[in-house]
Amino acid sequence: MISVGKLARTGFWILLIGYFLLPMLAMARFAFQTIPTFLLTTENVFQGWGFGSLTVAFQDAGVIKSTILSLQLCATTIALTFFVLVPLTTYVEVSAPKLKPWLTGATVATWLVPPVALVVGVAATFRQVIPSFLTSPFTLTFFYSLWMLPFTYRAIDGQLRLIGAKNLFEAAQSVGCGPITFFFKVILPNLKSSLYISASLIFAAVLGEFTFASLLLKQTMPVYLWSFQSSQARAGFALALLVMVATALILGFAVARMRKRGLNFSATGI
Amino acid sequence: MTDVQFKNITKHYGAEVALSNFSLSINSGELVSILGPSGCGKTTALRILAGFIQPTGGALLVGGQEILDLPAAKRGYGMVFQSYSLFPNMTTSENIEFPLKLRKIDAAARAKRVNELLDLINMAEHAQKFPHQLSGGQQQRIALARAVALEPPILLLDEPLSALDATVRDQLRDEIRSLQKRLGITTVFVTHDQQEAMAISDRVAVMRSGQVEQLGSPRELYQNPKNSFVAGFVGISNQIKSTKIGDAWKVLGSSVSGPAGFNTGVAFIRPEDIKITPSPTGIAVIEEISFLGSFVRVFMSVDGNRVIADLQISEAEKLNTGQQVELTIRDANPLIESI
Repeated sequence: MISVGKLARTGFWILLIGYFLLPMLAMARFAFQTIPTFLLTTENVFQGWGFGSLTVAFQDAGVIKSTILSLQLCATTIALTFFVLVPLTTYVEVSAPKLKPWLTGATVATWLVPPVALVVGVAATFRQVIPSFLTSPFTLTFFYSLWMLPFTYRAIDGQLRLIGAKNLFEAAQSVGCGPITFFFKVILPNLKSSLYISASLIFAAVLGEFTFASLLLKQTMPVYLWSFQSSQARAGFALALLVMVATALILGFAVARMRKRGLNFSATGI
Repeated sequence: MTDVQFKNITKHYGAEVALSNFSLSINSGELVSILGPSGCGKTTALRILAGFIQPTGGALLVGGQEILDLPAAKRGYGMVFQSYSLFPNMTTSENIEFPLKLRKIDAAARAKRVNELLDLINMAEHAQKFPHQLSGGQQQRIALARAVALEPPILLLDEPLSALDATVRDQLRDEIRSLQKRLGITTVFVTHDQQEAMAISDRVAVMRSGQVEQLGSPRELYQNPKNSFVAGFVGISNQIKSTKIGDAWKVLGSSVSGPAGFNTGVAFIRPEDIKITPSPTGIAVIEEISFLGSFVRVFMSVDGNRVIADLQISEAEKLNTGQQVELTIRDANPLIESI
């Protein structure tokens, strides 16, 4: 008799293969096999593979430019999010717990507004007040930071609760430690795991984000790929697949490395 | 001199009163426990002394100086918490060294002091371990060492033994007392465990509803409780219905002196103050006899009420369950309150 656990495991693998691996394989075959699409069959799965389409992609100046922009946006979004969110969340956890429901609500609120409405609203406001705000591609940093708040906030907040930040602050005060020293010597080192996870999530999300960039007419990598694929379909898919695999590998590597160093990820849900 | 004086301290949380005219004087070098049930305000009092909470009113003097305006980080009192509160990113030595680094003490002096403290708490072999690699008792020892690293004038202990198992609790309790005596630090120990408070303290302040009900040595509190609350909270007390006959009170089979002004009351009698004499006409019936190592506990029924007596093993040898016995009391002047 088959146990429920075994059945669930089999179901999971069927879903994973059917929903995720098969489409990825189809995508990889289209991108990397030098066989016309209508001739791709199960008999020639292992024939004609090559990285020609990636070479085509990297020879395009637009691909390089948009990739650099997306990577820069990853960095600025991570920096802005950490700069604002970490001190704010720590302050609320340690000194103003009454504000916590408001902060939690505010982080979710960004998802209640669809990107189209958010961009139109912000654009309408800032075009009149600060016209230069929307001209720079780095404007996207603010949208991405807001958009990622529900995930980044939860990872940081969960870790602060896990380490008992409020009690640690009292313990630090009792040995003569002020709030700034406490933040740098106790809070930041103990938030390492959630900061790594938040950064990885931002990296993965920003690298694949299309809607905000497209609405604001910024040529980030996903937006450029969209138009690039219409002229260079195979190269476009090859690049998209590479980004997907690279993101998964970076995320997996970060988690594995942190686990090896004994960092606790339970609060981040990973 | 680091004597502590709480003077009419009040603390309100909206309509809720946590402390109401709380007054308590603690002498320099003394260990005073604040004992009371949950919600009585004992932790609030300690946190006010630590500087984590500002009272609604009153004065708080340490060494004769008002300290309420001084922030917690400037007070320089060592504190040990129920939840250990060690910094998870630091090793045992780094946790102990942290306050010394904040004071900018030079590296050689820091290392010397850390080693002294590690030896003092018998944790030298765990110096390089992180808190998550240590047991609760070990973590609390480190927290204690960290708290006394700067030789603070006052040590605050907020239920430091509550999260530990019984054996470790007893051992650490003795270690805390020994350390406190050796260093001569004025210490305030908050607990809801009366045995713990009795074992460790020079004096105990029993609290109820934001006020001190009674302050005294463990012996005073046990032998002369001021009221039924203290008698019931500190140790076990039998509550025995008593009547006044003439000038004396009849409590079980004994006549004792007692208060005037009412004729029926409840006497609070400790189990070891009850004497049992086998008698076929006795008013009490033995229901159960429990051997508890150094003494025997006898449970009896008197007019439907349960009475407990603690006897020497030799005194209990001739007693059996179901036996009728006569009860008298050894305490000549018990606490009697009107019903």
